[in-house]
Amino acid sequence: MASAANANLNAVRETMDVLLEISRLLNTGLDMESLSICVRLCEQGINPEALSAVIKELRKASETLKASENSTN
Amino acid sequence: MATLDQKSPNVLLQSLCCRITGKSEAEVAHQFQYAVRVIGSNYAPTIERDEFLVSEKIKKELLKQRREADAALFSELHRKLQTQSVLKHRWSVLYLMLSLSEDPRKPSGRVGNYGALFAQALPRDAHSTPFYCTRPQSLALGYGERSAGLPASVGTSGISSLGVYTLNGPTATPQSLLSGLQPVRLWVPGWPGPFLSAAPLPPLWPLSPLDRCLGPSVPSSRVVRPRKDGEVSEAALVRDILYVFQGIDGKFIKMSAQDNCYKIDGKVVLCKSLRDTSSRLAELGWLHNKVRKYTDARSLDRAFGLVGQSFCAALHQELKEYYRLLSVLHSQLQVEDEQGVMVCTESSLTLRRLLVWMYDPKVRLKTLAALVDFCQGRKGGELASAVHSYGKTGDPQMRALVQHILSLVSNPILNFLYRWIYDGELEDTYHEFFVASDPNVKADRLWHDKYSLRKSMIPTFITMDQARKVLLIGKSINFLHQVCHDRTPPGKITPASNSADTPRDAAELLSDLEGAFQEKIDAAYFDTSKYLLDVLNRNYLLLEHLQAMRRYLLLGQGDFIRHLMDLLKPELVRPATTLYQHNLTGILETAVRATNAQYDNAEILKRLDVRLLEVSPGDTGWDVFSLDYHVDGPIATVFTRECMGHYLRVFNFLWRAKRMEYTLTDIWKGQMCNAKLLKTMPELSGVLHQCHILASEMVHFIHQMQYYITFEVLECSWDELWNRVQQAQDLDHIIAAHDLFLDSVISRCLLDNSSRNLLNQLRAIFDQIIEFQSAQDSLYRSALEELTLRLQFEEKKQQREEEGQWGVTAEQEAEEKKRIQEFQETIPKMRSQLRILTHFYQNIVQQFLVLLMTSTDESLRFLSFRLDFNEHYKAREPRLRASLGTNRGRRPSNI
Repeated sequence: MASAANANLNAVRETMDVLLEISRLLNTGLDMESLSICVRLCEQGINPEALSAVIKELRKASETLKASENSTN
Repeated sequence: MATLDQKSPNVLLQSLCCRITGKSEAEVAHQFQYAVRVIGSNYAPTIERDEFLVSEKIKKELLKQRREADAALFSELHRKLQTQSVLKHRWSVLYLMLSLSEDPRKPSGRVGNYGALFAQALPRDAHSTPFYCTRPQSLALGYGERSAGLPASVGTSGISSLGVYTLNGPTATPQSLLSGLQPVRLWVPGWPGPFLSAAPLPPLWPLSPLDRCLGPSVPSSRVVRPRKDGEVSEAALVRDILYVFQGIDGKFIKMSAQDNCYKIDGKVVLCKSLRDTSSRLAELGWLHNKVRKYTDARSLDRAFGLVGQSFCAALHQELKEYYRLLSVLHSQLQVEDEQGVMVCTESSLTLRRLLVWMYDPKVRLKTLAALVDFCQGRKGGELASAVHSYGKTGDPQMRALVQHILSLVSNPILNFLYRWIYDGELEDTYHEFFVASDPNVKADRLWHDKYSLRKSMIPTFITMDQARKVLLIGKSINFLHQVCHDRTPPGKITPASNSADTPRDAAELLSDLEGAFQEKIDAAYFDTSKYLLDVLNRNYLLLEHLQAMRRYLLLGQGDFIRHLMDLLKPELVRPATTLYQHNLTGILETAVRATNAQYDNAEILKRLDVRLLEVSPGDTGWDVFSLDYHVDGPIATVFTRECMGHYLRVFNFLWRAKRMEYTLTDIWKGQMCNAKLLKTMPELSGVLHQCHILASEMVHFIHQMQYYITFEVLECSWDELWNRVQQAQDLDHIIAAHDLFLDSVISRCLLDNSSRNLLNQLRAIFDQIIEFQSAQDSLYRSALEELTLRLQFEEKKQQREEEGQWGVTAEQEAEEKKRIQEFQETIPKMRSQLRILTHFYQNIVQQFLVLLMTSTDESLRFLSFRLDFNEHYKAREPRLRASLGTNRGRRPSNI
């Protein structure tokens, strides 16, 4: 049992590594944690189009906020 | 997304928001709400769920950026990924990364350009429903420009999407940003489902016309009027209307039971235009209820049948699309609520807007409601006919709708049909198909009675001719299986039997009834019928049996019949009660062995048999004797019991006529043999002459009759039959040709009811011939007796003279004289008997001729000419003269 769980964990880790590599290649700007969240969401059948749109919007929003903070500061 | 468990997307989304913005949960609530909404409204992806396609896209993207090495690296990584089985939705992850990917060489600074816009625009965008495009600002973008921006996937997604905009390039003008800020796809479930998307129809919700007509008018439509007290706001009405659309009573608009329509509560204060608009919209609710009621009532009713079920399913499908539209409207409304009252927002729902948007759905619902009304109480093929009749409309949208429903409805029918014509199986539990089967019918009547057409269930898109062919195909297959015990798998009979037809095929067949469908049926018909005829001819010798009927029952085999008659004559003159079937069967076998019949197929000779008809007192063997032919198995379908009855009647008639010929031959033989002997008795010459004249009259009559029977009746009909059988395409053709043959033979042999008189006359003539034969026989007998006595007397006289005695004594001479005297005295009696016979005979012939002349059958009239070629009878019979005259006058061309 333990070894099976271990193997499974290994597989997950490997998969995540590969995905991170692809993500880097494609310059998505996702770090490990957000990537794993995204992967989990995708695995639940979320529409990737919508998800990508959300991420982009969030990025924009945070940029804007930062910019406005900067300007007020 | 209602449930919030540990792994729910909402939790994940929230952590994602925190992660990306780098803020705490409380701070990102705004963004989180937005994210939930966007994801929630875009559950189904518009793109192909194909990992390969996505990976190819990524490679292409990398190549475009001139990063060939990275592309290779990616394929390597992708292959690695594929070996892992951890991920179920690889394409999804890949797609996500693809859409997030950015060209590293381009500056990523454009994000900053959005600046402060997002903070306020986000909430507004969040509720921007499909009709986002109606903002006046977006009009600045041309339709063409925008449509070019649509991803290619929209066209093939099967759902006509609305308001799908991508970022309009990196340039940041305020206008394009406003429209560009919505990279999210929100779409109205276009009412036509995926099935219609293939048809070249204009999109149900054309983007630009709606824009153009609504755009400019919107601001003016939302002028805020000063409200009266207690007046219902438009927003409340809209909410009500949305409920009414689903058939639920609203606060103000309620179902009125007595008028059977939705009505606005009379007490509600409302301006007239709003009241009017809302009652117009409320019609949708009424239509919806109607359709809904029908499907609810029927969908659980099993006896409604498969066709009915598929009709309900089609209606459900339509309703589902309608509900999807409603749910979009609802969510729009909800968003507005959350916003609080924003009366001036151009994109909010108004009654007028609803009126325009709901126009097409209304037309569709109307069609559905009309269909439901029309299909009430129908099922099976009848239902399909009803739907089909609605498809004959000029409106392309309506036609497409009806066509789609029809393709669903007719699918079970086509399934029945293919099962039937390829496997011969009838799985029609609810009696919906147009072929009916009667389980009580046994195998021997299978072809004739078991299967029939249900006229009312023939869909109108299937012609009567096709329906008949379909019936015949399945019937042939069942006949092969059950009667011929032919176990050829159906696939071998019809090579093109791919019975697994998809609904798409069904739709195609309906639109192209002339071509493919007809061809399919024709091919199946041709193959099956041909196979059936082959089996019947090859294994069951149908044609040989037909010929055997002609040869034996219709006396075609002359030598055999003649020999049989020779052999049977001593048996048949005896009273019928003393005949025994086994004796006759033995004679029959002798006759077969002695004539050419012995070379016939054993299969046929085996079936040949003798039958004795019912005996009535006083009958001789001639009256009850009959040949018989046993038929069973598949050929009994052609030679039915009735057919065999007809054959026996015809045989009886022909046998009688043949016997007359035979009798007359005997008479003639007697005349020839005795003529020389009786020359010595000059006192007989008058009587003999009378005999000869009468005999030749009879011979002439019988010869002409035989000629007529042989050539004009049998040969002509037989030739027709043979031609038809050779050309026959299916068993029905053969049966019909055979029945026609028998009918024509029966009627021309005067055996049918209409020529009963003629037949009676003919029988009387035949009786006269028999009587004449016995009269002549007795005449010859007494004449020959007398002759031998005289010869003996002369001999004795001579003998005594030689012995030297007196040749005759006076006593002897007196005795001799007395005897001669006595004999001569019987001659006048004979003469008068013959005269009476002649008179009777001629009378009957004359009557016969009169009947012939008045008969409607041309060949019978010609027979009368032939019988009376020298107008012998005409001179005697005034009626003949009259009828001939009238005939001549009537149709001079014929004579």
